[in-house]
Amino acid sequence: MDVPAVALRGLVKRFGRTVAVDHLDLDIPAGSFYGIVGPNGAGKTTTLSMATGLLVPDGGRALVHGVDVWAEPTVAAPLIGVLPDGLRLFDRLTGPELISYAGLLRRIAPDVVAARRDDLIAALDLHVAGSTLVADYSAGMTKKVALACALVHAPRVLVLDEPFEAVDPVSAAGIRAILQRFVDAGGTVVMSSHVMALVERTCTHVAVVGAGRVVAAGSLDEVRGGQDLESRFVGLLGGPAQTPELSWLRPSSG
Amino acid sequence: MVATLVRLRLRILGHALRRDTWRLVLLILGLLWGLSLLPGLAGAMLWLAREPAEFATEILVVAGSLVVAGWAVVPLLVPGMDDSLDISRFATAGQPARRLAPGLLVAGALTVPTLVTAGATAAPLLIWLRHGTAASLTAVAGAVLAVVTCLLAARIATGVSARVLASRRAREVGATVGVLLAVLAVPGVVALGSLGLEGALEKVPTVARVLGWTPLGAPFAAPLAAAEGSLGEALARLGVALAGIGAAFALWVHLLGRALRRPVSRGGAARRRADRIVRGLRRLPRRPGLLATLAVARRGARYWSADPRYLSALLGAVVTPALVVVLGSAISDTPGTVALGAGAFVGGTLGWGRHNDVAYDGSAFWLHVAARVPGWADRLGRTLATLVWALPVTLAAGVAGVALSGRWDVAPAALGAAVGLLLGGLGVSAVASATLPYPVPEAGANPFAAQIGGVGASLVAQVATSTATFLVCSPVLALAALTVWREPRLGGATLAVGVVGGVVALALGIVLGGRLYDERAPRLLARLT
Repeated sequence: MDVPAVALRGLVKRFGRTVAVDHLDLDIPAGSFYGIVGPNGAGKTTTLSMATGLLVPDGGRALVHGVDVWAEPTVAAPLIGVLPDGLRLFDRLTGPELISYAGLLRRIAPDVVAARRDDLIAALDLHVAGSTLVADYSAGMTKKVALACALVHAPRVLVLDEPFEAVDPVSAAGIRAILQRFVDAGGTVVMSSHVMALVERTCTHVAVVGAGRVVAAGSLDEVRGGQDLESRFVGLLGGPAQTPELSWLRPSSG
Repeated sequence: MVATLVRLRLRILGHALRRDTWRLVLLILGLLWGLSLLPGLAGAMLWLAREPAEFATEILVVAGSLVVAGWAVVPLLVPGMDDSLDISRFATAGQPARRLAPGLLVAGALTVPTLVTAGATAAPLLIWLRHGTAASLTAVAGAVLAVVTCLLAARIATGVSARVLASRRAREVGATVGVLLAVLAVPGVVALGSLGLEGALEKVPTVARVLGWTPLGAPFAAPLAAAEGSLGEALARLGVALAGIGAAFALWVHLLGRALRRPVSRGGAARRRADRIVRGLRRLPRRPGLLATLAVARRGARYWSADPRYLSALLGAVVTPALVVVLGSAISDTPGTVALGAGAFVGGTLGWGRHNDVAYDGSAFWLHVAARVPGWADRLGRTLATLVWALPVTLAAGVAGVALSGRWDVAPAALGAAVGLLLGGLGVSAVASATLPYPVPEAGANPFAAQIGGVGASLVAQVATSTATFLVCSPVLALAALTVWREPRLGGATLAVGVVGGVVALALGIVLGGRLYDERAPRLLARLT
């Protein structure tokens, strides 16, 4: 069997007394477009941070194409492109400068960095904001320039945390096309999302995460089991308990 | 509104104290420090009470004006004003700045420095009690007006600076202010030096006459007029103070309104065409890590010119030593010797000041972690970003100090100490910023704000790094002292020890700090998010 693009083995992370990730195991096959879904606080971001070398796990291992991310970080890092959620960027640089900065930090030759920077700006339609500081970008533009930073060193695995949040539909279609071409060329994309419809439309595989563990994982059809993903998701994780009625929330009652 | 905001402030303080015991200790220490000033203050007042009232007033006016001016200057140089009631936090409350301002002023006054200042401005009452009811009442009114003036002075100073530093032209403004201060400080020191302390004291009556009609000194001059029976003049002086407060309040409300409508957090709409990060680079160097070094250095250069937090750190690092030298030479019998230390002071402050460099990246530091930038490359890049401008500034301060003192015979020693402290401080910072990060204002936030919960960690880190810097630089400091006071022929040796020792300390710091960084980078990131 092929070496999986990402293999997580018994990952554990505790914050104080809460266990955010609880002995999580997951195999992500190479060449897949893998969606990770789960409710708020399920441990998606924590898991992805540990898989990409940004957060030290309390236990377990994370392997990317067979390389242990925490035992051989300098070998693993060039294989991975990361788009974290909720972390800042060096926003006193312009968009193009930020992309160059990411490329140079990855020790890519400067002429290659400059060429790729221009390609990425064209592909992600960042021309308009080319001379503005990232601090002045809209949320969607910021996401796009962060994605460019994740792509600039041509990684084999892309790990994207909520890549489509705040991105307008036109840009989202453009980003999906880029990611799809990346997968067609043999790359692997791992992305987390809240939006089931989006995951159904784009991903080949999906994992449902709840309370720090994998509840279900596999190809999209395996996980869905004939239902649509949203029903399956609610079925796996339990629907909302009886919603208390907000009787005062009726504009007509004054 | 005032009561609401005061309750809010007390509630925040209560939560902070419960969460972070360090703050309680600091608060108690601060209160003790304030109390310890009271006996001295009372003694000085009782001494002045025995002098003629005119003389006492002159002293009070000058000292009082200095206190008010201090309230405007100190918050700029020692950032850390509590921002738990920053106006931008009320942006969604839908209240105009005019309604919020009085409450913010009162709630923001609940600090130890305000209590000490209130005690100090009320102390002259000890003098005026024996000059009758009118004088006493005027003194009380003056004390209240003076405290309000102090509070407004501090708010306006930080408000204006936060604006100016965030503006597009901040770099030019920063340079201009630096040059202006240097230009003002030099004749100041020279004048004080030529007059001597006693000569300067002779000028007090003239200065006091002028200050007594400005909002700075008027509250302290009014009781004398009341004591002499000219109630009109007393009221006029109080009126000057009141008018000053009115104008300052209007200006402050205007600043608050602008902060509400247009927060400083944006990038100032600066536009840049060329990519300054990759510009001029072509091929892969033999050590690819050098690319990361260059990138970090160039990014640092941008931040030094475009980020208000770096600009305020820069101003503090240059202006504080200048002020200390000016004040030191005013008090000291040998002003020249104090001026000789200017370069060492500036160099030490600039080098040591980078001990928390990584924290200024905030969570954006993830980019370095994800790329696994080699530790030495990260350290070297940050050091270069500071060194390119800090070395000329330190040398200039050193030469200016030597010129002021006129002791060209010990110039090599003064410059050696300056360079040694800059490089040694940077070496210590290269290690410390990979080990002891403590919270700083986020990019785009008010650079003069303290971070809640950061007091304990910052205190430990600052004490540790300044002690380490002192220890690392003790050889060159000892040699410099020996040269200045005993043996001028050791100047060359001091210069050599300063430069060579500094380079060695810096190289060791980068290697050691780099190793620590390689081990700890993800943990550092966890502490910054």
